[in-house]
Formats: sequence, C-alpha cells, structure tokens
Amino acid sequence: MAKDVKPTRKNLMAIEDRIELSERGHDTLEQKRDGLIMEFMDILDQAQDIRSEVEADYQTAQQKLDMARAMEGDVAVRGAAAALKEHPEITTQSKNIMGVVVPQIEASKVRKPLDERGYGLVGSSARIDETADAYEDLIDSIILAAEVETAMKKMLEEIETTKRRVNALEFKLLPELKQNQEYIEQKLEEQEREEIFRLKKIKAKKEEEEDEEQEIEADEREGATTASPKAD
Amino acid sequence: MSATGSSNPEYVNARVSARRATLFDEEDYRKLLRMSPDEISRYMEESTYQGPINRLGSRFSGVDLIEYALNAGLAETFDELLAWANGRLYEQVARYLRKFDAWNVKTAVRGVYAGTDPEAVEDDLIRAGEFDDALLDQLVEAESVDAIVDLLDGTIFGDPLAAAAEEYDESGMLVPLENAIDRAYYENLFEGVTSASGAGPESAYAEYLQAEIDFRNVRNALRLARSGAEVDPAEYFIEGGTLFTPEELSTLSRNRDQLVEHIRESRYGDELAGALDEMAEADSLIGFEHAIDAALVEHARNAGHAHPMSVCPVIAFVLAKEREVDNIRAIARGTQAGLDPEEIRAELVVE
Repeated sequence: MAKDVKPTRKNLMAIEDRIELSERGHDTLEQKRDGLIMEFMDILDQAQDIRSEVEADYQTAQQKLDMARAMEGDVAVRGAAAALKEHPEITTQSKNIMGVVVPQIEASKVRKPLDERGYGLVGSSARIDETADAYEDLIDSIILAAEVETAMKKMLEEIETTKRRVNALEFKLLPELKQNQEYIEQKLEEQEREEIFRLKKIKAKKEEEEDEEQEIEADEREGATTASPKAD
Repeated sequence: MSATGSSNPEYVNARVSARRATLFDEEDYRKLLRMSPDEISRYMEESTYQGPINRLGSRFSGVDLIEYALNAGLAETFDELLAWANGRLYEQVARYLRKFDAWNVKTAVRGVYAGTDPEAVEDDLIRAGEFDDALLDQLVEAESVDAIVDLLDGTIFGDPLAAAAEEYDESGMLVPLENAIDRAYYENLFEGVTSASGAGPESAYAEYLQAEIDFRNVRNALRLARSGAEVDPAEYFIEGGTLFTPEELSTLSRNRDQLVEHIRESRYGDELAGALDEMAEADSLIGFEHAIDAALVEHARNAGHAHPMSVCPVIAFVLAKEREVDNIRAIARGTQAGLDPEEIRAELVVE
C-alpha cells in the first residue's frame, strides 16, 4: 500500500489531513457507539420487561379463553368473536434515537367498551367480557413489544455498523495512513539526505577543481620566476 | 304435543322426575374429572347421550364431539318436554325454551355478519326451541340480516328485530340486533303468567321468572359499571323484575357500592351475600355470575318441590339439564386445556 503512494510533500500533507479527519471521525463514532450501547441497554431492559409482560398477558388471556370455552362452550365463544368484524387500527410513525430511525407504533380501537364489542350484553356473560379484556391487554402488550423490539433490532444493527466503522478506522484506515505518512517522511528524509550528500559532493568536486586550478596557476607562476634570473 | 287441550302437569312431571333420575350426579362428575376427553365421550355413550354421540361420531371427534353431542342431547330432551306437554303447560314451557330460538337467531345473524359457511352455522344451532326445522334451515341459508328479519316476521323476534335492524344499518354493529333478540325473549316470558302475588303455583313460577330477570338486570348493570362504557344501563333494562326500576338502575350503576348495597337490602340479599363479598374482593364478576346461576337452580328446585303440579318442576329440570350440559362440557374442555381438576370442580354447579 505504502509503495503505491508517491512520496511527495503534497501527498504527505494530504495524508496528514486525512489522519486528522479520521481521528476526529473515530472519536465521534466511538462516542456514538458508546451512546448507542447505553441507549440499547435501556431499551434492552424495557424490552425484557415488555417480553415478560407479553408472556404473562398471553398466559392470562389463554387461561381466560380456556375457562370461557369450558364454561360457556366453544360455540358461544366463537359466536361472540364472530359478532365483531372491526379490527384494531395500527399507524406507524418514526422517531430518531441518536441518528437511528425507529418506528413508533400507535394503535387505536384495541380496547372497546362493552357496547362496541359486537356481541349483545343481555345474552352474554362476564366470562366473555373478561376474556375479551384479557385479549385487549395482550394486543396492547404485543404492539408495545413490536415497537420496542424493532427499535432494539434497529439499534443493534446501527451499533454493529458503527462498531465496524470504528474498527475499520482504528485497525485499517488509520494504521495505513500512518504507515503511508511514515513511508513518505522516510522517503523525504532520504531524499533530503541524498540532496545534502549530492550538494556536498558537488561542493567537494568544485573545491577540488579550484584547488587543481590554483595548483596549475601556482606551478605556472613558479615556472616563470625560475626563467627570469637566467636572462640577467 | 301442542298448546291446545288441557294442561297435563301430572303426566309431564312424572316423566320429568324419571328423566331427572338419569341426570349425571356428583359421583359421575367425580369419575369424569379423572377421564380424558375420549373416555368422557365413551362414558357419555352409555348414558342418555348415546344417540347424539353415535350420530355425530363420524363427523366430530374429541371435545368437539362432546360439545356437539351435549347440545344435541339437550335439544332432544327439551323436544321431548314439548312433546309431552299440552295446553297451558306447553305454552309456558315453550315460552321458556324460546331462549334456544333466541340462541339460534343470534347464531344465524352472526353467521351472515361474519360470512360463515351455512354448514358451520347449522352445526352451532341448538334445535331445542319452538322453531321447526324448516324455519331453522331457512335461517341458516339466509343471505342477509334483512332476510332473517323477514323470516322471523310473526314470531316474538319479528318486530323487535325489524326495529333494531335500522340501528344495525346505521352502525354496522350487531349489538342492537343481539340485544333486541334477548330482550324479546325475556320480555315475553311473563306473557300469560297471571300474578306474582299470592302463594299459588302460578305465583311461584312468576317469582322464579322475576328472579331470573332481576339477576339478568343485576349482571348487566354490574358488567356495564365494570366496563366503564358510556351507555345508559336503562337501555338494557329488562321489564318484569322487582329489584329495580329503569331509573334506579341508571342511577345505581354509576356507583357500584350503592348498587351492591341495593342488592344486599333486596329479597336476594341473603342468597347473594357470599357472591357479593367475593366480587368485592376479587374485582371479577365471574364468581358472582357463578353464584347467581347456582342460586337460580336452587330457586327453581325449591319452587318445583313446593308446587309439584305446576310448570316449576319442568323449569327446574330444564335448568338442571342445562347445568349438566355445562358441567360435562366444562370438564371435557377444562381437561383438554390442562386445567387443574380442582379448578374445574370449583366451577361446576351441582345440585
């Protein structure tokens, strides 16, 4: 990877910018992950409570239904159930928890007063009323559980994604960028050293040439001085 | 037989007491509580339910077989009562058994409303009332509520249903129709019953009917008070009882404590004292209704003993037979659902 990067000062600056940005992103994502985990833990507690509530409500409703079928007869219970066609209405909206869009489920017409349940009051019994009450409680709990468990699932997915991003930054991108930075720095230092060495070489050669020239000049001067006393 | 001729309580009550001896007793229930549903149906095969069990055995199995056989057995027994009775006695018994006509009309109406298959609706009928098979078959095959209303023209349910059909058309809810059917039944119970005052057989029967209507009004008022529905309980008031006037019911059902106090101070106070205490503790009406059912059975049986040459022993037998059906069904369904035998036993109403 590092060998693919051109060891230029411009690239070094770009990498330093990316490192800074990545480190900032890493910190932010880490904070987001921790925040999401805290929110998730709250929702998890809530979900566990609601799940137990659903189980308890289901047991109660089933027990009431069993007793109603036993005491009133299956035919009477089925008849009472057939007397109502209207189903509960469910509307979903969304809310945002730390950037995670989770559903907000609202139900209407789950709980019905006695005069809107379809079956006649005069020819029915409290056992059927209480069975219907128990199933209304159960539906309410299921709707709440659906909301909380969907939120939990979505938050879990977001935590996973954030964790992967944090890990990718921490263990892949940042090390690679730092490796590249180091590589470029080393290369640049090496180039600098080579430049200094080259300059020194040039300087030495230049000095050598100057010395040679001076020597030649000195030799020439000396030759001229030895020839002039003969002429005297 | 028919409404013509002279009343024959001696003959009918002699046959009724023979039939009463064939009802399941405490020992039978103890045995049934230890049996599986299949064993219960085999046990029933050796009783008065032999015919229905054998006839329905090829179509149903398990607890469904038991329930349908019980309903069929109930219908056969009550048909026999009508076949034995003559004259005024026939009229009184037939009028009381119209509760099954009401049941069948409600079943047919619910079938149309929910789009249920006519065959399934037919299975749920209890052919124990006054309607003949031809009318019941037409009700089952009816394709609309209006068609049912037309078919019932001339019966006690005709006019009330026609009036309630308008409300049904507006609201699309079955409640007005169902209430009209049940009210028509209760409000016609008193037809021909002379007076509740005095000490004769007629007044004993009238007193029993008053108790049944009073208990029904109490149940409805308490259920409305418990549900918090914003309806005037007077709308559901059934005429004929002595415990409330419609105005009293409207006022009392807004305050449960006052309502309970009113019942305690009434002539049913002693009979229902235990049930009222239980209701206050448990915040559930189930135990109270159970006590009311037991009190009615007791009431009818006492009236039957006091006036053996009246309709009272027949009505007491009708109630006892209904309780038998309820008890066997409760044991079978309860056992199938895995309920504790003691819990099932507590729900039985045994004379």
